[in-house]
Amino acid sequence: MTCDAVRKLIPLCFYGELPAGEEDLVEAHLHECAACAGEMEKMTSLAGALGRRQTEVPASLLEECRADLRAAVEGAAPPAGAPVKGPWTLFLEAMGATLARFPRWRTPLGAVALLAIGFVGARFSGAGRTWWKPADEAAFATVRSVQADNSGRVQISFDETQRKVISGRTDSPEIQKLLLTAFHQNNPDVRVESIGLLSAETDTAEVRDALLGALDHDPNPGVRLKALDKLKPLAADPEVRKTMARVLQTDDSAAVRMQIVDLLVTRRDDSTVGVLQSVVQREDNRGVRQKLENALKDLNASVGTF
Amino acid sequence: MAQDAARAAGARLNPQVDSLIRAAQHGDQDAFEQLVRAYDQNVLRLAMNLLRSPEDARDAYQEAFLRVYRNLHAFRFDCSFHTWLYRIVTNICLDQLRKRKVRKEESGVVETAGGSMDRMETFEEEGAEADPERVLWNRELRSRIENALGDLTPRERMVFELRHYQGLRLRNIGEILGATEEAAKNCLFRATQKMRAVLGDFL
Repeated sequence: MTCDAVRKLIPLCFYGELPAGEEDLVEAHLHECAACAGEMEKMTSLAGALGRRQTEVPASLLEECRADLRAAVEGAAPPAGAPVKGPWTLFLEAMGATLARFPRWRTPLGAVALLAIGFVGARFSGAGRTWWKPADEAAFATVRSVQADNSGRVQISFDETQRKVISGRTDSPEIQKLLLTAFHQNNPDVRVESIGLLSAETDTAEVRDALLGALDHDPNPGVRLKALDKLKPLAADPEVRKTMARVLQTDDSAAVRMQIVDLLVTRRDDSTVGVLQSVVQREDNRGVRQKLENALKDLNASVGTF
Repeated sequence: MAQDAARAAGARLNPQVDSLIRAAQHGDQDAFEQLVRAYDQNVLRLAMNLLRSPEDARDAYQEAFLRVYRNLHAFRFDCSFHTWLYRIVTNICLDQLRKRKVRKEESGVVETAGGSMDRMETFEEEGAEADPERVLWNRELRSRIENALGDLTPRERMVFELRHYQGLRLRNIGEILGATEEAAKNCLFRATQKMRAVLGDFL
């Protein structure tokens, strides 16, 4: 094999795309030709440099895409070639069931979570069953003042925060407390992950209030859907129902509104019926309106308030 | 990430995918959702890598899966579902890339729901911030890589992304793009040559 021929095959050889016989010939040539071996090394360097460029997909973006898709499917034209009864109708009818069972995207893998959350470590002590260690040696400081005196000395006042890594069981109080803190981080990915790892029992008022706060105020629909998923066990709680009723009337995400309807109808009370009757009159999303009408029917209530 | 890729690769080969497709074709929304979830992480990653904008990637994701939803009845199992899906996704992304070719190559800043994310953050090695020379070197390298990728034709870019980042075989890439394996090989060769020329002394 000539050097020219080998060099044309180097990318294919690198990616394992050559037939075995041809690959053997290239390998044999590389073994004997330093110049071509150098070309293969450059190919490896190129792949190594490009390998570090891979874009991470934010978790919240995936959640948003899925929520968008649900909302878009409900507003889409029925699929062409649909059977006589129409999968579209079936899809709309079953949409509620799907959202009611809203699958957990990221069930914690095992009982142990490893969290790396920056800039909050200083708020917690290292006691108990939780282990802390610095994530790196670098401290991040904000210099507040610099005062020099005549003797050549200087006094610098600065704030220091230290990035740390904590690992522990998801049900440990320290981890749960840290997860609640992470609710307030700017990064929606951190918020989604934190909600996903919160104790499934949601048995403390602090956790419930944090979830209600996320449902009521979080700007990211993926985070709000995640909060709703976690609030399912508390769907009968009066405070939870009150917040859901309020959000149902104001949220701009159809997927969130549909999920709330599913949770509200698990229990019949007059105020719920009133809210649903009020909302159905001004709901402009076909899928959500259909769900509201079905919900009222299930609750033996009329669609109109008359 | 590796798990996602493995899962998608598994889904490509898993006969259970066929039953999900058949169920979805008969209006089973759970099956449709499972089908989406088997592939959507890789689809979104491909769109993000190619389009480099969360908003555009989000649009591509939605358009792709809506097309799947609308046309699933026409899927006849004469190719793998993975190939069929990726034909849809790559067509959408190629259209976007071609439109962009008339615009200036976008900056290195990626907009996310949580604000701007400089690609450097995901590019530098751990601890690189402690070494200013390393930071500068990385920054220059990153800039060169973005220029190198920007110099590729949309088709070369697509072949390279599918082979290098998604790990697809060139034969499969040819099927997806409606080309021969030979054509995919040529695209990959040209792409690597162009990138090596631009990166030059960094390699």
